[in-house]
Amino acid sequence: MGKIVSIHSFRGGTGKSNTTANLASQVALHGKRVAIVDTDIQSPGIHVLFGLDEKKMGKTLNDFLHRKCEIKDVAFSVGEFATDSEGRAKLAGVNLWLVPSSIRGREISDVLRNGYDVNLLNEGLQTLLKVLDLDYLFIDTHPGLNEETLLSIAISDVLILILRPDQQDFQGTAVTVDIARSLDVPNLVLMVNKALMRYDFEDIRKQVSEKFNAPVAGVLPLNEDLADMGSVDIFSLRYPDHPWSKALRGVAEAILAIE
Amino acid sequence: MSDEMILNLKKAVLFQGLPGSLLEALAEKVIKAHLEPGQALFHKGDAGDALYVIDNGRVRIVSENANGEQLVLNECGPGEVIGDMSLIDQEPRSASVIAITAVELLQLKRDDFLEVLKVQPSLALDIMRRFSARLRFNTTYIEKAIDWSKQIAKGDYSFVDQIKAVSEEAVLSNEDKASQLLSAFFQLVQGVKGREDDLKQQLQKLTLEIDEARRKQEFEELTSTDFYANLKAQAAKIRQQRQDNQ
Repeated sequence: MGKIVSIHSFRGGTGKSNTTANLASQVALHGKRVAIVDTDIQSPGIHVLFGLDEKKMGKTLNDFLHRKCEIKDVAFSVGEFATDSEGRAKLAGVNLWLVPSSIRGREISDVLRNGYDVNLLNEGLQTLLKVLDLDYLFIDTHPGLNEETLLSIAISDVLILILRPDQQDFQGTAVTVDIARSLDVPNLVLMVNKALMRYDFEDIRKQVSEKFNAPVAGVLPLNEDLADMGSVDIFSLRYPDHPWSKALRGVAEAILAIE
Repeated sequence: MSDEMILNLKKAVLFQGLPGSLLEALAEKVIKAHLEPGQALFHKGDAGDALYVIDNGRVRIVSENANGEQLVLNECGPGEVIGDMSLIDQEPRSASVIAITAVELLQLKRDDFLEVLKVQPSLALDIMRRFSARLRFNTTYIEKAIDWSKQIAKGDYSFVDQIKAVSEEAVLSNEDKASQLLSAFFQLVQGVKGREDDLKQQLQKLTLEIDEARRKQEFEELTSTDFYANLKAQAAKIRQQRQDNQ
């Protein structure tokens, strides 16, 4: 049975979607069967990294949540259809799927107004694990601790919390860690992103690990080159020798090492 | 020849530490010169055939940039020596010297200097000793500078406190270029270390604290709902189901 890996951050802007896309790609390149579900229905974004636009996208998670289709009909095969950039070309033939959220304004506002059935989402995720015979199901969550996010955390086998080395992220992450422990999430892993190069990374790792009493799988530098690239590709595939990419592979290996 | 003139000659690095008898012999050959304000003592590129000690007044050392504009490199006043090395190496003047005020100078021509050398061969040996000592001194500091540079590259500034005394002493004898280099080097290291300390300070300011009271309060707010109680039970059930399926 595959593992559910939720990628979460208390606040927005931590680089969560980019991290999720890169981690899932790296794990898939290890020969694992991997899917990503974009549950950030309010502000979807990960599809762009895989070169998906409204036309290419077809059915979305929103259609499933409105019971208009089955979850397997929404999974877009990245390794088959999205190898049209320098980085993503390396995913050709790899078992990686993406379940995108709708980017249509009306469908987003509809979910915001009426909410959705979190139990249905859970059923969809469990079905996806089975029908695609997944090793890993990555969930890109909405920041904060709303009901949908709490559900993703609750059903995770692995929870990756991303934080920047700043005061607000520290405080919010502390509460999220407490919630994860209260929900008995079996594996909690921290990842620090956007650390300025002048910081002592080892010191940050130590501080964070001690404060939260949880392992820190990586301290990743603020990546101006990633911002520079725009959200058009999978950075760690396009620039594998970049310090950010190296540190990210360390996090991917930490996920793979979890029993 | 006046004692004052001998004292002035001693200021030339070339003549430092020479015995009085030799300085007297040199002072015999010194002639007085006078410049009106704006008058050039020599121009850049002229043959270096004499050394000068300024007795009175001020001069400007000037060069020209690529556009032909005058660049003031330095100003010199009473007691300062111009061009002592040219007595030995005869290199062309590297800059021009122009009087700012009316200037009285003492001039020792190279030919006269060589004449003294002929009758006083021990002068040559004395000067060679001086050069040799300076060379050793400079080499020592160059070696130290190399060593320190390597330590800086490793982020090790422990030598700074050790050289502090040396360099403060060196600044006093500003005649010597090696001492000046040492002093400049020391200032550079202090600057770099200061900036690095500032950055470390910023990192320390970044020491992150968690407000434990707020943490507890927010946790209680989030977990006190029916939804949460339900979720916890449900999550346990889902995990159990998935394990059973394995």
